Formats: sequence, structure tokens, C-alpha cells
Amino acid sequence: MSEQHPTARRRDPRAERAARTVRVEPRRRLVLSVDVVPQTGGRPRRDPRARRAEAIVQSVPRLRLDWTGKAVGASALPTVEGRGPRAASEPVLRVIDDPACLLFAVLDRPDGALSGHDRQVLAAARLLADAAGGAVVAVVPDGGEDLGALGADRVLPLPAAWADEYAPERRAAAVAAAIARWSPRHILFAESQDGGDLARRVAVACGERLFAGVESLSSARAARRAGGGATELGCAPPRLLSIAADAVAPLGAVRHEARRLDPPPEPDGVPALQGARRLPVDPDGVGLGEADFIVSAGNGVTDWDAFAALGRALGATRAGSRVVCDAGHLPRDRQVGASGTVVSARCYLAFGIAGAPQHLQGIGGVERVIAVNTDLHAAMIKRADLAIIADAQAVMPALVRLARERGHG
Amino acid sequence: MVDVAILLSVGRHPVSGRARRAPTDARALEMALGLPAVRRTALHAGDPASPALRDYLGMGLDRLTVLAMAHGCDPVEPLAAHLRSLSPGIVLTGNRAEGGEDSGMLPYRVAHTLGVAIVPDVVAITVEAGGGAAEVVQALARGQRRALRVALPFVATIHPAAPSARPSAFGPARRGRIDSVPVEAPPDAFLAACAARPWRDRPKRLTVGAPGSGGALDRLRAATEAKAGQGRLLVGPSPDEAALAIYECLQEQGVLPR
Repeated sequence: MSEQHPTARRRDPRAERAARTVRVEPRRRLVLSVDVVPQTGGRPRRDPRARRAEAIVQSVPRLRLDWTGKAVGASALPTVEGRGPRAASEPVLRVIDDPACLLFAVLDRPDGALSGHDRQVLAAARLLADAAGGAVVAVVPDGGEDLGALGADRVLPLPAAWADEYAPERRAAAVAAAIARWSPRHILFAESQDGGDLARRVAVACGERLFAGVESLSSARAARRAGGGATELGCAPPRLLSIAADAVAPLGAVRHEARRLDPPPEPDGVPALQGARRLPVDPDGVGLGEADFIVSAGNGVTDWDAFAALGRALGATRAGSRVVCDAGHLPRDRQVGASGTVVSARCYLAFGIAGAPQHLQGIGGVERVIAVNTDLHAAMIKRADLAIIADAQAVMPALVRLARERGHG
Repeated sequence: MVDVAILLSVGRHPVSGRARRAPTDARALEMALGLPAVRRTALHAGDPASPALRDYLGMGLDRLTVLAMAHGCDPVEPLAAHLRSLSPGIVLTGNRAEGGEDSGMLPYRVAHTLGVAIVPDVVAITVEAGGGAAEVVQALARGQRRALRVALPFVATIHPAAPSARPSAFGPARRGRIDSVPVEAPPDAFLAACAARPWRDRPKRLTVGAPGSGGALDRLRAATEAKAGQGRLLVGPSPDEAALAIYECLQEQGVLPR
């Protein structure tokens, strides 16, 4: 019970009456003094007014209440076992000093940051390690992440530069050398483009077979899809596995020590694949579903020359809402939304789009949305990370000018 | 001018289940037909009577060599032995077969047995004038491309984004010859140890919300509500102010160079 709201216990009149009873025969006699009244148990009585006061997030301009218990005032709320808001507890550090075996989780770290797929690989390794009493070793290009919070007991750092450059042969040689030195029970990879390539290179270097693209995993059985998608191959988890995307749920709050191991020696020898460089691609040639940066037009756009110039200047893939594609301003394969393409771009720049529910479904996977619209109350403005209430016809040429001044486009 | 070998497999139509050209293998053959090659050798390991092999011949091949072996055998050793006798400059194949183990391991194992480099996910190959090296283009996620320089000989696996294969013509498919070479292949013990059963689709894992945080209410909210942004709002700025704000936001996100 909190200090501010001393709430009374729930009373049980029958029990109080029984406690006060001195004698029953010939007539029932009761003691009237207060201290005899027992503090009978029962649930604590709730004070609805105090709860409501604590749920208030703001009172002007209009009252807003948050009943989830996460409001500012909610920390003072009494927490009762099994009811009320759950206290967020810090996970306890788990140290595995003397593991029965080691498991390698070889992570991709594409573009210099751990991906969701990498986390799933760590979760899969954790699953197998907990069943065998082993420790998870994250084999990853060196970086700033706290791998202990992701479930790694040990970290085997590879050179940090390998995260950015394309060095599959050196990476495979380093992982194979580490496998030879520590002889882990299982080695898990991510079945992504680079991770799958690395897994196969390591598998041939070790002279073993890879169980590629595991779709379901338990400590007793791993299963993958084969036979052109018609067959499921299953067996006890083999030594080398690669985990398909979204096959294993990532871990919740855990705390492991992530002790650093000595890195394996850098492999020598000249790699056969040399001179890797990214090629410039035509942004409009990229399919909408896999485009990284989309500039999109809606009914509020009338200046199509400026829109095309903007797409060229920013190097963005052009797209449009259903209205625009229906009117023939853009081809049908450029339509974003429920009846068009569901996009997963990193950045979505929308001009003159109000944000119909079908359109918002189409941009559900977008990381950051920038919206330019004349209507302050449009649904798109609510969804956007940066919303600008202005006319698209004025902003587009200004943005093209700015991009040209800054030296690209 | 290079010597090209193409490894072809028999695919499986995803709906009807009929034997067909494996899509990426057909793209590999298409790429081989476009290379300035002195010799093109098409190889298949498996059943020489498969009707899908005629589809490859119909793309303009004169002959196809089949290393005849029983189902469930490991084709790597016979393929590598045959390739060693040919010593081609470039070995092309699809990056993933369909209908067998579908692990994508075969090109890597063949390359390792031959002791040559392997380039995955190729969409274009240009052989340099001397014929000693080639410039290859790889397909990456999000439509991106990467160029590499590789010395011959090498094994390349073809990505599905490579130029699509020409259709198969009936006449060449009838005229083409299939040379069957019986080979000894060891049984595939790894594959035999796995239990096979028909694939059953699993419910898609709901990957919404941070795992372990909050309760059912949070998960329901993440699954049903439209995602709300961070909500920076500029009302009625001048066009230049608006453009600058957008530009800085794009730079911060990393889609434009700083």
C-alpha cells in the first residue's frame, strides 16, 4: 500500500461479529471496543479514485488516461503478486564457467550492425546450448554491440573491417581455423545471402555437410525444406546448420557474460575474389518490394516533371498511391498499398498522400516515413516520423535544388 | 574465348510436381550461350531418361552428357572427375537445385574438389581479352549489384535475378543428342540418415513487438494498430526550410551521403 493512498482493508462483517462475540447463551453478548476487531485478510481494497489520478497522462487540452500502468504516476501504484502492473525486472547475469561443450553462432553483421536474423541465430544457439549444458560463442566481426544481452557466453572477435568489405574466403578460413581449435559441438549460421555463402565455404573446408535453411529447430530435431519445397527433411541437429530467417523466435531479456576469447590468427594467402566494388543501379529498375529508398506521390501531386526530377536527384525509386496509378501517371507495378506492393524500404518519402488504411498497410514495414501534405489531420501525418504541412508542388523543386547544390543528382 | 561447362539439374514444378528445367540452371545455360565460348559442355548427373533434359536441348544445345547414376547417390565425385578431364575455364550452375536435397552445396563441393575459386549469386560475366580473368557481377539484396574480378578457372552459381532463360524449342529438343555415361557413385549417407515426409506449412511466426517485454496488450497493440511515427511536425514552413528538414532527415537515415 502506498503512503499517499492509505486504503482500508476489505472488511468481513461476519468474522468481526464472531470475534466480538463473548457469549451466545442465553443471549448473544458482543464486545464494543474497537481493538478487538481482527485484521482479517482478504484482498486489499482498491481505491478507484487514486488509480484514476495515477492514470492521468495529461489533463489539458483534454483528459488522457493510460490504464496500462506505464504512466508516470504509476510507479507509486501498489504492486500485488499476480495482479496490477508487472514490475520490469533486470535479468540476472548467468555465467557458464565450465561448459559441457561449445556452440558457435557465426553472425553476419551486414552493413555494420547486427540484424534481426543474427539475433535469431543466437536464440537458436541458446536453445541447443541450454539442452546440452553448453556455452554459446558468438563469432562476429568486432563491433560495439553488447552480445551478452543477446545471449552470448563468449565472443570470438574477427577483424572489424570484414563486416564492411567482401572477404568471404578469409572469413571462412578464420571460422574453419576456430572450429579446428575449439571443436564446437554445433556451428550455426544465418541462411542469408552472405551467411549462407560463408556456411557452405566453411562446410567444404571442414569436409562436412551443411544442413541448410533450418525451418524448425528443437534440441532433438532440426527440419528443413527440400525436394522443391514438397518434402521436409528432419534429423537430430547435425554439426553444421544454417537457420532460415524467422524460423526461431529471438530471445527475450537475458544476461550472459560475453567473455572475449583470443581471436583466431589471420589467415594468409591471396584471395581469389578481388576488387569488389558496388555498382550504381538504376533506382527505377529495382522492384518496389526490395527498394531501399522510395519517393512516392499521391493525389496531391500535380507537377509530374518535378516529381521525376526529384526521383533522379535523390536516387530514389518512384512509386505512387492507387489513385495515381489508376489515373495513369505511374505504371501499375509502382503502386504501393494493399492492392499493390507491400514495401519494406528503409525510408519512404510521401508527397500529397493522405494515408488510406490500405496505403498504410502497404508501408507497414517501412523504417522511417517522411510525409509532405497540406492536410494537418491526414492519417499519413500521424504515421510519419517527419511531417511537413506544405504544398508538394513547392517543396519538390526546392528539394531538387538543394540536392543539386549539395553535389549529387 | 573460354571453355565453359554447365551443370544442369532436373527441377520440379511447384504446383503440378512435374519434372521441368531448374530455373536457375536454365539461366546458367542462357548465360553460357551468351559467352564467347570455344566449347560448351553441358553435364547432368542422374537419370538419362528424364523428359526435362530435352527442354535444355531445346534452348540450342547440340548434345548433353548425362552421368547415369541411381537416385540417392552422391554426384560430386563423378562430376568432379569428369570436369577434371575437361578442365573448363568457367563452370556455371544454378545457385540452388529443386527436387533433391536443395542445399546449394554441390557447386561448393565441386569447386573444392577441383581446387578452384567459387563465385556465388552471379548475374553477368565478362571475360577479359586475354582470357586469363573475368569480371563478374553479383546480385545482392535490395536490387544492388557488386562487381568482382576473378582469375580463371572458377565455378559460378547463377542468381535468380540473372537474365531469364530463352524458351525451349521443339525441333532442337528433338534433334539434340543425350550421351549417357554410366558412372559409379557412392550412396549419399548424409541424405539417407534424414527422415523425409511431406512438407506442411507452419503458421507464420508473429514477429511483432520486442520479445519478452510487456504483456498481451502490447503484442495485440503491435499487431493491430498502425505504427505511429516519432511525430516531428512542421506546419507551414517555407519550401526551403521544408526541403532542408527533409534533406537532413534523409542524411540522418543514411540514404543520402553526408
